[in-house]
Formats: sequence, C-alpha cells, structure tokens
Amino acid sequence: MDEELTNECNSAKVVTENKEKIEILLKATGNAPILKTKKWMVEKEKTVASINDFLRKLLKLEPSDSLFLYVNQAFAPSPDQTMKNLYDCYNTDGRLVLHYCKTQAWG
Amino acid sequence: MANDTEILHYLWNGKLPVCFQLDEQEIHGIQNPEPFYLMVPRMSYFPLVCDKVKKHFVKHVDPEKQEMEMWLEFKNIPLKWNNPIGVLYDLFTIDDKQADLPWQITVHFDNFPEDQILRCSCRESVESNFMSAMKEADMLKHRSQVFSTMQRHQHNQLWTGLLNDKFDQFWSENKKLMEPSDGSYFKHIPVHFYRSGSSVMTQTLVKPVSEDGNHMTLGELIKLNYPSVDNPKIFTHGICIPHETPVQWMSEHMSYLDNFLHLVVI
Repeated sequence: MDEELTNECNSAKVVTENKEKIEILLKATGNAPILKTKKWMVEKEKTVASINDFLRKLLKLEPSDSLFLYVNQAFAPSPDQTMKNLYDCYNTDGRLVLHYCKTQAWG
Repeated sequence: MANDTEILHYLWNGKLPVCFQLDEQEIHGIQNPEPFYLMVPRMSYFPLVCDKVKKHFVKHVDPEKQEMEMWLEFKNIPLKWNNPIGVLYDLFTIDDKQADLPWQITVHFDNFPEDQILRCSCRESVESNFMSAMKEADMLKHRSQVFSTMQRHQHNQLWTGLLNDKFDQFWSENKKLMEPSDGSYFKHIPVHFYRSGSSVMTQTLVKPVSEDGNHMTLGELIKLNYPSVDNPKIFTHGICIPHETPVQWMSEHMSYLDNFLHLVVI
C-alpha cells in the first residue's frame, strides 16, 4: 500500500519525505519471544498493521497466534495509525519504543 | 466546564440523515432494492448503527457473497469505520457546496478495499478501538492517571453510553476524564488533524499553552501545524470554529466521544 501511495505522488520532494526513516525499538513483554535485533529503521508512512505483519514474520508466529503492540506500555495504537504520527507524539530520545506481546497486556 | 454543558448535549444530539444504496454492480436478481434511510448520530460509528442496513441489502446480493463484510463508500472513497460518522461527513462534504442531505452512501459486499480501510470483524473491534483511543487520550491529558484508576464497570459505562445513545451514562464517567488535573490545563491536547477531502490523519503533540504563557488558541495551533495554509478554516461537528477559541476549552467541550478533537482544515 505504501509503495503505491508513494508512486502516485508526482512531486519528487514528497517521495523523499515519505521514504524518510525513523528508529523504532521493539521490546518483548510477557511471554513473547525476544528478538536478536531490537532496533529497526522503518519508513514513516508504515502503519501499525504493517509493523505487526513484519513482526509476525520475524517471530515466525502461526496464523492462529495473536500479537499485540503497545505504545508507552499504555495503549494499543489503531492498526491504521502511522509510525510518523506515533513518533511525533511519543518518541523518547529520537526513537519510538513499541512493546509487543502475545496476550493482551495493557487493555 | 459546569457552565458549558449545553454544548455537550447539543453536539451529542447532532444527527445526519443518510440514504444508503446498494452498488448497482452488486445487485443480484431482477428486483432492485429500495434505498434505505436512516438518521445516524454524528458522534457514533457506522458499524454500531448499520445492522438494519445490512439486513435490508444482504438479500439482494449474490448468495455466495452474503457472508462477506459490508463496507461503505462515498464518491469512490471507502469510508473508515473507525472514524466517527460526523468526521467522515465533514471530511468529504464540507468543500462541496452541492452536498445535499440526505448523505448518499453506497453499500458494498464485494471487493473489500483491504489496502484502504480496516476490516471490522465484530462489534468488539469497535469497542477495543474506541477504548484504546480513550486510553491514549488520557495518557496525553493526564499521563494515564485517570483512565487506569477507573474500574471495569466505569469503563463499561462509557462504552454502553455510546452504544445505547445515553448521554447521562456516558458523561457520568467521561467528566472525570475531562477534568484538568493540574491547574486549568491538560498536559497535552488529544487532536487528530485532517485536510478536507483526504482520509489521511495527522497527529502531533499539542500543548494547551503557547510559548508566551497564554492559552493556545485554535488559530495559533493551526498556524503551527499548517504554516503554508493561507486563511485556514477549521471545522469540527460541521461547525466552522473561530480562530480565537482556546484549544483547552475545545478539548473539554468539542472532543468526539473518543476524547480526541477531530479537526478538518480547509
């Protein structure tokens, strides 16, 4: 989806802005498996749903497994929320920390 | 807060007349379904008010497609169920001088636009999305200190108040979330920004007080976020809001039920 959106933009400037990356830190919580690499650079326009898919592949989860993502150990962002919005509101020291777990942790 | 409760009632009671039509391509059989008319609360969400719409149209589509998830479209734009109805209407009609009421919405069962809108598997998805938004709003306003200390039954009052259109039930709990915890301001103001005509949402960290120590006005906030827009008009709940309105006051009185201000900028 993101690729298509980028391609539709005529202005080269918009394309580079969309491609700009931000740092996210993926932290396991509860019974979730821990990642070897926790730090990732992701495109700003990526959504929570696409990070969730990406993480499911990394963790080799079964389709029947649940995976929940949380911001600030407080709330589950909407699947269509963008990394840019979350980063702009909730980054600490230039990185966005996302906690993941296989059962609901914070509501 | 106590003096301005009238506006809370006024916004709660805001409704839109909608005319639903099944997409012509999806009509199965010789009989064309009648359009379906409904008055819907601006503050609510489509999956909470569309059971009757689905029941009306489902018998007119291919039996093989009747189990598919119903979705809604206006002028070729799929409507996000996770946005309040009033936000969707304002986003796509406020620019358009011709947008007559009732609002004409096309109903689909086939070709779900996966890349543009979320699936809504059940009413619980709406509930968890809504409660998460409230939690996030409380984190912004009070560093999560109010919502997390509320009991399960208090959270239920919020949800069932919305579900059953019960103002008193909802506000008996929501007023706790709308009290500034220190002095007269929230820590931050929960805001979702949109540009008219696009469903792209932007969120930034909004402070209720400006650099000079005075309350932040709506005009100042929009200037910060949209420096290149000349003479912006800002709408919410179908109302064009004066630029001098303090954002703290707006947050307390003009937020949608998820406790976010949803501002459409033209």
